[in-house]
Amino acid sequence: MAETEKIEVRDITRIERIGAHSHIRGLGLDDVLEARLVSQGMVGQKDARRAAGVVVQMVREGKIAGRCILLAGEPSTGKTAIAVGMAQALGTETPFTSMSGSEIYSLEMSKTEALSQALRKSIGVRIKEETEIIEGEVVEIQIERPATGTGQKVGKVTLKTTEMETNYDLGNKIIECFMKEKIQAGDVITIDKASGKVNKLGRSFTRARDYDATGAQTRFVQCPEGELQKRKEVVHTVTLHEIDVINSRTHGFLALFSGDTGEIKQEVRDQINNKVLEWREEGKAEINPGVLFIDEVHMLDIECFSFLNRALESDMAPVVVMATNRGITRIRGTNYRSPHGIPIDLLDRMIIIRTVSYLEKEVKEILKIRCEEEDCIMHPDALTILTRIATDTSLRYAIQLITTANLVCRRRKATEVNTEDVKKVYSLFLDENRSSKILKEYQDDYMFSEINEQEEQDPAAGGGAKRRVDVGSGDAQPMEH
Amino acid sequence: MSYQNWLNYLQSAEKNSMISGRLRKVLYKFPDGRQMAEEYNLDTGIVQRRAWRKCKQLMGQPEWEIELGEEPRQLNWSANQSNGAGGGANGAGDADSLAGPEFTLRESNTAPLLTKRVTKKNIEWRIRNMPYPLEIYNVTANAEQRAIIVRTTNKKYYKVIPIPDLDRCGVAPSQANLTVHHQFNTLIITYQKPAILCEMEAQVLLLLKNVETETDMDDLLKGLMAK
Repeated sequence: MAETEKIEVRDITRIERIGAHSHIRGLGLDDVLEARLVSQGMVGQKDARRAAGVVVQMVREGKIAGRCILLAGEPSTGKTAIAVGMAQALGTETPFTSMSGSEIYSLEMSKTEALSQALRKSIGVRIKEETEIIEGEVVEIQIERPATGTGQKVGKVTLKTTEMETNYDLGNKIIECFMKEKIQAGDVITIDKASGKVNKLGRSFTRARDYDATGAQTRFVQCPEGELQKRKEVVHTVTLHEIDVINSRTHGFLALFSGDTGEIKQEVRDQINNKVLEWREEGKAEINPGVLFIDEVHMLDIECFSFLNRALESDMAPVVVMATNRGITRIRGTNYRSPHGIPIDLLDRMIIIRTVSYLEKEVKEILKIRCEEEDCIMHPDALTILTRIATDTSLRYAIQLITTANLVCRRRKATEVNTEDVKKVYSLFLDENRSSKILKEYQDDYMFSEINEQEEQDPAAGGGAKRRVDVGSGDAQPMEH
Repeated sequence: MSYQNWLNYLQSAEKNSMISGRLRKVLYKFPDGRQMAEEYNLDTGIVQRRAWRKCKQLMGQPEWEIELGEEPRQLNWSANQSNGAGGGANGAGDADSLAGPEFTLRESNTAPLLTKRVTKKNIEWRIRNMPYPLEIYNVTANAEQRAIIVRTTNKKYYKVIPIPDLDRCGVAPSQANLTVHHQFNTLIITYQKPAILCEMEAQVLLLLKNVETETDMDDLLKGLMAK
């Protein structure tokens, strides 16, 4: 019994995990950019999707730089879903950088640096270059770590093709790449000599008979032929940010893989811009502008907004898509209130796409898609109840109930989730409304509730009056934000 | 079967020349952005070294690629070389083998190492660190690929050696001109130059005659030291 459980655990780590938006494969538009009702994982929201389709078309043509699009709408109306759909529709060739507004508050990097890195990550450059690569099957790999745990690692690898065999010494950084890729004897790999990038192509056919537990993703490939080192004309798709890092001498290109890029000087960036434009004129490179998506954009503060104002004017700027669920609210870093928490001057440069609440029919459709995505078979009645729950509470809560209901259903050894299972989890797990209602009722039994009462008794306490008002309405305030 | 293209290409380059010791060094800067450096022995008029620098696009300074002759001996040289081919050439005794883990990947210093040399009559390749006996090797001239192909029956070494010299005068390599020796852990492949190649080299020398040569720096220094 224990044995079978172990195997199960190992399998779970192999499968791809299911995220909140992993069911989305595109925007679900037809050739003339009309939105189909249910397609590619997207449901409803026709106008917003059509608008997003126009934006995608604009990005594909790649002529317009520095436009800004705002996706605005209430919580859980599919803003992020539309952004993910745009990314999918654009394909892997077009860079799509997704970040959250609060990501810029890193202690290691200034806000504007984080923003300009994000902007430059969203501009791709296709470069044709001849590089030397080493392609072969790993015969043997040795990595010696010093016993103390710190200090230099020493590595050796033997690679072979059908014709030859060579030993290589490994540098410290490339050892890390080897360990990250989990390279072992029998793998067929390529190493880019210039960048030190290691790529696993698959396992060699000659090792196929080994009784290894191999996942579904393991590919078997032939052992390469001819020489180990080959020259190949490759088309790199790199982003401007990657070129920046490679050329900022203090770090070197391996900083790309470790991520410790630090600040990059503006001079370096200017030089790179000029160089890239030069390459483009010579026909060596193509610029492939992409999309920067900033979720929760109201988390940016006034400095970032004014930086963006300026940065969007550059002709190397990508198309920026932002999403927010705020109405008229305070701009972070100021005391001014503004629509969506974004200053009017920046709003003026934007085109705004509004998402609206889903209809009941659409909610049902979304839940159906999510059931499929989470491998859950649900009885139509249960689905109706779940739809009801979704309209009464929230769509997110209903989605959470799918997997939990599925687990409950499996407990009683059934395969199809029925109404009882849904009711059970509905009683087991509270939604935000019920939870805050309980809080309101039993406020006095919770910890520290007496502090408020003390303040009420002491009218001289500074800010007490204001606090009291807050507390009065605070009970009703949802805990969501 | 003509070397005119190559001569025209050399003609189009901006050339600089200087003499140091018994060597004449010539630097060609071609209009397409490539650079070539040659070292001629003044006693024999033979090219000892030739290297190319091609325009690289992504990363900083392009590196010299050696077509002919030995790699230069230099301290810490292999440390910042990603290909590290020189690491093997300099052997373990040099300081560079101690130089840090800066390299990403290099061939171990027991790996076979190919060098090329030109003499008056022949083109020679030496593959060092090749311990296997002569019967193992199978060296063929492949006219289709315009290259010499070295195979080993024990599947330890395989190399396609291009012959740019022959390409320049439009001749395909032929098996008849090829001889192979093995001694001192080294496989020596000798290819007898065809007449047209010798003619081309003579023409190039004539071309270089017209290039102005800078003063011999060594002589100048010696003069200064004497004072």
